This record gives sequence, structure tokens and C-alpha cells, in this order.
Amino acid sequence: MRALLLRRLLTAIPTLLGVVILSFVLMRLAPGGPFDGERALDEDTRAALDAAYGLDLPLGEQIILYIGRILSGDFGPSLVYQDFTVSELIAQGLPNSLTIGGLALLLACTLGIGGGVWAAVRAGRWQDEAIMGTATLLTALPVFVTGPLFVLMFALGLGWLPVSGWEAGSPSHLILPVVALALPFAGAIAKLTRAGLARALNEDHVRTARARGLAERQVIARHALRPALVPVASYLGPAAAGLLTGAVIVETVFALPGLGRYFVQGALNRDYPLVLGVVTLYAGLIILFNLVADILYGWLDPRMRAE
Amino acid sequence: MTRSRLPLLIVAIIAIAALIVPPLLPWTHSAIDWDAVRAPLFAPGHLFGTDTVGRDLLARTLVGTRVTLAVALAAALVALVIGTVWGAIAGWYGGKVDEAMMRLVDGLYALPFMFVVILLMVVFGRSIILVFIGIGAVEWLTMARVVRGQVIALKERPFVIAAEAAGAPSSRILTGHILPNVAGVALAYLLLTVPQVVMVESFLSFLGLGVQEPLTSLGILVKEGADDMDLQPHALLIPGGVLVLIIICLTIAGERLRDRLSR
Amino acid sequence: MSIYAVDGLDVRIDGKVVVEDVHFTVEAGQCVALVGESGSGKSQSCLAPFGLSPGIASGSALFGETELIGMSASTLRHLRGRDVGFVFQHPLTALTPHLTIGIQLSEAWQRGGAPAPSRGDMITALERVGLDEPDNRLDQFPHRLSGGQRQRALIAMAIAHKPKLLIADEPTSALDASLRTEIMLLLDSLRREDGLALLLVSHDLAAVAGHADQLVMLRDGQVEESGPADRLLATPQSAYGRDLVAATPKLTDPPPNLPETGARLMAAENIHVSFPRPGWRRERLRAVADASLTLHEGEALALVGGSGSGKSTLARAIARLGPKDAGLVRWRGETLPERKHMSRRHRSLIQPVFQDPTASLDPQWRVSDIIAEPLRHLRPDLAEPARAGLVRQVLQEVDLPDDFANRFPRELSGGQAQRVAIARALVSEPEMLLLDEATSALDVLVAGRVLDLLERLQHERNLALLFITHDLAVAKRLCHRIAVMEAGEIIEEGSTQQIIAAPTHPVTQKLIAASRA
Repeated sequence: MRALLLRRLLTAIPTLLGVVILSFVLMRLAPGGPFDGERALDEDTRAALDAAYGLDLPLGEQIILYIGRILSGDFGPSLVYQDFTVSELIAQGLPNSLTIGGLALLLACTLGIGGGVWAAVRAGRWQDEAIMGTATLLTALPVFVTGPLFVLMFALGLGWLPVSGWEAGSPSHLILPVVALALPFAGAIAKLTRAGLARALNEDHVRTARARGLAERQVIARHALRPALVPVASYLGPAAAGLLTGAVIVETVFALPGLGRYFVQGALNRDYPLVLGVVTLYAGLIILFNLVADILYGWLDPRMRAE
Repeated sequence: MTRSRLPLLIVAIIAIAALIVPPLLPWTHSAIDWDAVRAPLFAPGHLFGTDTVGRDLLARTLVGTRVTLAVALAAALVALVIGTVWGAIAGWYGGKVDEAMMRLVDGLYALPFMFVVILLMVVFGRSIILVFIGIGAVEWLTMARVVRGQVIALKERPFVIAAEAAGAPSSRILTGHILPNVAGVALAYLLLTVPQVVMVESFLSFLGLGVQEPLTSLGILVKEGADDMDLQPHALLIPGGVLVLIIICLTIAGERLRDRLSR
Repeated sequence: MSIYAVDGLDVRIDGKVVVEDVHFTVEAGQCVALVGESGSGKSQSCLAPFGLSPGIASGSALFGETELIGMSASTLRHLRGRDVGFVFQHPLTALTPHLTIGIQLSEAWQRGGAPAPSRGDMITALERVGLDEPDNRLDQFPHRLSGGQRQRALIAMAIAHKPKLLIADEPTSALDASLRTEIMLLLDSLRREDGLALLLVSHDLAAVAGHADQLVMLRDGQVEESGPADRLLATPQSAYGRDLVAATPKLTDPPPNLPETGARLMAAENIHVSFPRPGWRRERLRAVADASLTLHEGEALALVGGSGSGKSTLARAIARLGPKDAGLVRWRGETLPERKHMSRRHRSLIQPVFQDPTASLDPQWRVSDIIAEPLRHLRPDLAEPARAGLVRQVLQEVDLPDDFANRFPRELSGGQAQRVAIARALVSEPEMLLLDEATSALDVLVAGRVLDLLERLQHERNLALLFITHDLAVAKRLCHRIAVMEAGEIIEEGSTQQIIAAPTHPVTQKLIAASRA
């Protein structure tokens, strides 16, 4: 187990490095820089700005400088939001994005696993078909459709919840975005859980447990649930990536001050440091999440713990 | 007509409609009807009404569907080809080749690909070719893993060893025995990939990074509809509904095929 | 009063009758064995009355004085937990992978209403079933134990709550021959010491002979014959009973009529095969070490050993179908080169037949194409009509009608599929057949017929056979010589009569003893 984690960490470093270098090179290759904006600048001002931001050095040097700075936590200044450094923007936006993403994941797991277990236990009957049908429908609902739809229905239509914006400490602003973000994942998790549990309930060791005279509830809880959740644990890695992506939309639709929205703005306006910083950060987060998923997998299935 | 064919039939009907109907309509997807701006449903001459600028929504929806499906199919095929070749080679040769190839796939899997794709869009401009490539580049990873898994399982089956004993060279075994047995699963995953691609493309378009004017896609239509939804909810619901319908049907068809094959 | 008495038992699954009018009685300390081929309903007869199968039971199943038929599911459950123990076929999957042996044993122990066992109690229980290192085993996960060890652990769990009846569904089918005997002896001793009643289910008559007091033979859900075991085995009354007894090869059968052997055909010298270990460790796993074999024209050699002994690996190395680190293979004196350098004639010399008939046929190909495949590559000189002619000829030889040529593997039964595999092996006129456990996966009667076919082919085509098997009785039926392998080495070799009558190596002796039961 430890060997596996170590190996994961070791492959993570080149991956991250690759991401940073790739993004860096891409941004530099883009025609036009951040200052090719509305007003044309004269040569001297341009040169001074370039020097100040280090844009005139050769590419290789820029990369090395950048990596050095990242390691000390300095992602550079934002070129567009000029009063802030990227680190400050990250510090502002990341907690919000993580809150939304984290709550959505929690909701998705609760709904998904609960729904999946119930469907598997009632396999073949109408509850099973109903839950699975709903789950399939949910996976087909992109966030950018459900987001505006919810606003339409619950905010504009019924007036229950606020349309957009964010007030610190106000949970009502979080409900719609979190639910919209969570639903497709709840559907996917429900399907995986149901399939996993239905398969587990047919396994030989479950038959042994039933033969022993255990009540069905105990059979499921002690013997069938953990192997059933293995596919869900594998899914958590891609789910994390998906949640981060979905958070981008949700933040845009609901005008929430999260990192995703800053990223899109930065990308559209060529704010290199911001874009690079966010991409690197997100890559790191996903790798971390995959690691957590691996640990979970090992707990669910001891055979994976063997070196 | 079995149940598993029904979803595919629905998608086929939508696709055919998207191809055939637009030339028959009085309005194109970009022509502006100055007299009928924000027309409601069933307005004269505009079955679905018009948008904020006066363009016919029926035409726009159909053309948008056409574009979305075309992009999705093309990108999914790109993913299929790259993924299958990669996975088959890694699975068949095994050993160090397999390790190296799959290490790359694992590394790429961890990337926040969406962000890299967005980066690419921004850098290289918003061309439709790039949309294909970008999306295909994201989706081939899953296909590669699935195909590799299948090939490895098949490689150990006695009928492959028997084929070797029968004197068949590796190339014949791959084309005659392995690929036909992989084709089914690959097709199932293709059907599952297309909806993924549809969502990615729509997502990009929603952000303004995908398909550009004068072309339109379902993602763009959803965005435009969302912007104006308090006044014209159907402008959001119709393209949104078509999008969701296509995704559901393809997902169901793909899953049924996959389940039938893994029995 | 008997422990368990079944009378007029019917079992229906989805309305279809799978068991009809079955009756048997099990007394304390007695062993009753239900024997039959797959689909005979033997498992259903045992499991359905206790609520462990999707089948609905009707009739009478008396446990002591309690009628099981018609009982509610929860009452049945309590009864199972208290008074009945179950052991199933696949020890590899019958234990929950994420719970330690100790936790599962403790859970089983408390089903009888007893309080949680102490660690000492559990160690004693594991010792009783012959599990080594019981103290360590309690904290281990199931995947760390071997198949035999897991089966012992399962038996310990099945009797932990001191049941009156133990039902064992194919308890030894997935195990090696020598382990089989040990497990059966363990069950015998438990019967004696605890007065346990044992209800056995098996497709293998040989496995239960010598252990069962009563035999019940089932076919298609009905009782063909039943009675005291020794009488039934010696003088079966029904036609089916006679077939079953005859098809079960025994070591005590008279020696078969083997064909004459000719000049030396194949000589394998000093073969070594090793595999890289997965993961970080560099040392390789030694599968075959310095093995040498010879085979003559028309001779059948049995390669016998437990699982993991390296017999398949050695055979594949000889046939050039598997890796080989070192060693030579000579055919009629000349050394055979690597596969890619072998001529077409060389490649057709040795053809394989594998254990699992359905996995050895490509599901997407028709039977005629499957059989013709070797011809396409090894006899490109043949035109289509000649090829088709050969295919038909060889289909006839394996007793399959012509119209089978257009079928797909999924339309074939196990026995038919194996015949197709044999036909494919024969079509390129090989001089030697490699049979890798070719009958182990088949039902007894079907396997018997395939063995008959192989015997006929031996005589008609003067074929040399390299027969890999773990069953010595099967080896005796077809083979002139036997070579015994253990841990990658050939530990004993000689003529069939000699090995069976006077084995010298302890491993061989154990194998003989196991097959003799």
C-alpha cells in the first residue's frame, strides 16, 4: 500500500511539471499579449512593462524562474486584476470553489449511494426502475442547462431563493448552485452503486453470509457494501475533475466569486499568471484527490493493499 | 423494434430532421426578421418563435443540433481511432511497451483537461478543427484503457493460443481474432463517448469558447436562452430539451449495448 | 428420529420444475451423497428447502420434527443459523475479502446464540480442522490463504455454532486431488466425533466413494437410483447408474488396450522456464527447472501434478506455445528452432487441446472456419474445395454431423465444443497432441465419451499424446507412461503400471492414495 502511494506521488511530480511547462509554453505562443488591449502603447512603456513582468526573457529562463517562484508560493501578480497578486486571488476564490465543490460532492455521494443501495435491494421492481431512470436522466443534465433552469423555476418563478450572488454566511445562496452541480454526479454514483451492490449480492461470500443465517440488512452492511463501493471509489478521481469543471459553469451562471470564474476571465483576457496558477493548482488538487481515492480503495478491498 | 433500438431511433430522427428540414424553412438560422423580434411560440412564420435579435428559433435549433452532432461524432471517432490503436498496441505487446504507454495515459488522466482545452482555445483561436481535436484528445484516454483491458483478457484465452498453434502470424491474430471481439465493446463505449463530447462541446460554446458565429450550436443556444430566460423561457427550454434528449438516448443505447456484451 | 428427512420434494424455478419427487434421509453421524451431472438438480434439492435458492420447494422436508416447507423466510433464517452449517464449492470466493478470518469465525460462532468466542476458543477451532498457524490466521485476510486452507477455515466456520446437519455443495471440486482426500477425511472425522449428519453434493462419484454411506443418483431432477453406497457402486441397478459408474475411471480398473509404440519422436532436454515477478522485486519466479521428457510414436505420456507444479508451462514450452528460457526440443533427432523460424510442417507436428472448450473457440467464428484455420496457414497449397473436404472428414472423425459446420460456439454444448477443438487439432495431420486437462471441465459421462474418442484416435491415427492431468485414473486409461511433476521438477517417471503399483516419491504416493479413495 505504501509502495503504491509512493509510486503515485512520484508520478505526480512529473505530471505537475508537465502541466506547468505545457501551459506556460502555450500561453507564450499565443498571438498577442495581455497588453495588446484597447489602447496601443508606445514602445518605451511597452518595454518597461515587459521588463517589469519578465516577459522579455528567453522562454527557458522564464519557465525556470516561474517554477522557482511557485515553490515559494508566489504565483506572480495578476495582469488583469491589477491590485491583486494571483496568490491573493487564489486565496479569495479557492475557499469558495472548494466549499461549493465539497458540498456538491457530499450531496452527490449521499443521494447517489443511498439511491443506489435502495435500488439494488429492490432490484427488478418498480423502485429500481424508477431510481435508475431518474439517475440516467440526471447524468444527462448538464450543469449549464440545470443552472439557468433552477434560477428560472425557483428564483424567478417561485421566488424562494435568491437569483445569484454571494453573501458570506448566507446558505440560501448556495442551495441552487450546489444542487445543480451535484445532480449529474449523484446520478452517476447511483448507477455505479446499484451495479456494484447488485453484483456483490450475487457473490459467493454473500451466499455464505446468508447461509449463516444473518439478516439481510446485516448481510448488506457487513459483507456486500464494501466491495460494492469499489467502483465508486475509482470514480472519485474523475468526479473531482468533473466537479472542478462544473464549478466553473456554476460560478458563471450564479455569479459566485470562485476561482473558476476568475479562470475563465483570465483565459479570455490572457492573464497569464492567473491562468497558469489556477491550472497548476487544479492539477495538484486532482492528483491529491486521486491519491485519496486510492487510499479509500485500499480500505474497501484489502487485496489492493498487497504490494 | 426492441427497446434497445428505440433511443437510437429517436436520435436518428432528430439527426435526419436537423439535416433535411432547414433548407425547407422560410428563414435561415442567421437571417433576421426585423418585424418579429422576441416572437413567442407559434408566432406566424416562426414555429418556435424568434430570439432577441429576430432570428428564427426553429431554424437555429435544427442547425445547432446539426453542428453539435457533427462535432460530437467526429470527435468521438477521433477518440475511437486513437484510443483503440493505442490500447490494442499496449495490450498486445505488454511488458515495457504497455507500461510506458499506460503510464502516459495515467498521467494524462490526472490533468484538468478542461482547463487545458480552454487554454488551447484561447491560444489558437476558436476554430472548429481545434474543437474536434481538443475534445477527441480528452476522450481517447478512456477508450484506450477499455480496449487495452479487453485485449489483455483476450490474449490469454485459449483460442488465441490455438490460433498461434494453427500457424497464424500476430497480425492475422490481431485482425482476425482480437479486433472482432473488441469491436463490440468499442462500439458501446463510442455510443457512451458521444454524449460526453456533446456536453463538452456545449460547455465550451456556453463559455464562448467553442463554435463561433455565424455557426451556432446547442450550447450557444442554451447560453442565449439563459441570458434571456425571464422573458422567453422557451428559448432556454427547447434547445436545452433537445440537448438532454440526445444525451439520454445515446447514453441508454450505449449502456444497453455494453451490458449485453459483458454477459 | 432422523436429523433430516426429505420426501416427495419438488422444486420450481420461475414455474419450471427442476426437481421432482426426490427423497432421502440423513441420520446423525451419517453421510448421504447426492450425485449427478450439472443440471441434475442436486444443488437445488439441498438448498431450496432452506431458502437459499431462487427455487420454491414443495413436498416435505423434515428437520428433526420441524417441517421446513412453508416456513417463513425469517424462521428459516434462524433455523439455518442455529442448526445447519453450509460449505460451498469455491473457497476462493466464499469468504468475504475485507473481513479477517477471525471476525468471520466469530460471526459464525455467535449464530447459535452463544456469546462471542475467546481467542483461545477460535484457535482451538482452527486447529481442529487442521489449519496451520491458527494464531496468525485469525488476523489474516482470506486472500492470504491457499485454497485448501480457506476450505478448512470455511468448514471451521460452518461447524462453529455446533449444528446438527452440515450441507456441503461440491466441497472439493475446486481442489487438488491430494487436498480432496484430506478434506473428505476431515469431514469423516467430524462426523465420528460430533455425530454430525453430512449431506454432500458432488458430480464426481470417485470423490464421494468410500466416504458416503448412502448414495442418491439424480438425473434431470429425478432420482434414478438410491441406496447404500457400496452396493450401488458394486452393482448399480439402473442404466444411468451403470453408465455413471462405468464412466468414472478408477485406479482399480483393468489395464486398457494401448497401441504399440514406435521410434523416438520427441525429446525435450533440460527445459527451464521462469517468469518475472510483478512489482519491484527482481528475482524471477521459477516455473520449470531442468525438466526432460521423451515421447515415442504412438505413445501417450501423462504429465501429472498438483496445480502450480509447472505441467502446463512445461508442455507449452515443448510445443513452442509458451516461453522457454533454456533447453532443447528435438524432433526425430533434429533440434526444433524458435517458433518464428519453424517451417509449416514443423508447426503442424504438435497441436493443442485445452481445458475450457468454450474459451478455446473464437465466439465470432463459425465451426467450419475454426477447424479450417490451421489449414489456411499450414497448408496454403490446398484450394477451397479440398479444404472443405478435409473439414468435413475430420468432423466425421470426431462424431459430429455435417450441419455442425455452420454453427457458432455458443450453440454447442461443452462436449461438442471439445470435439470441435479436437477436430481443429487433427486437421493439419499432427503427429502429437498436447491435451491440457482436456476432460477436467466436462461432466463425467461427457468426459468419458471424449476419452473414448481419444482412445480411438490413438489407435486409428497412431497419435502420440502428451496428456496433462491431475487425475491419475484418467491417466491410467490412456497412457503408457506417467511423469510426475512437483514445484517445476519431474520427480518421478516410469510406466503406468509401475508408477501406480509401486510409487517411490512421497508426492507420487500421496497422489496415488488420493486417487485410490
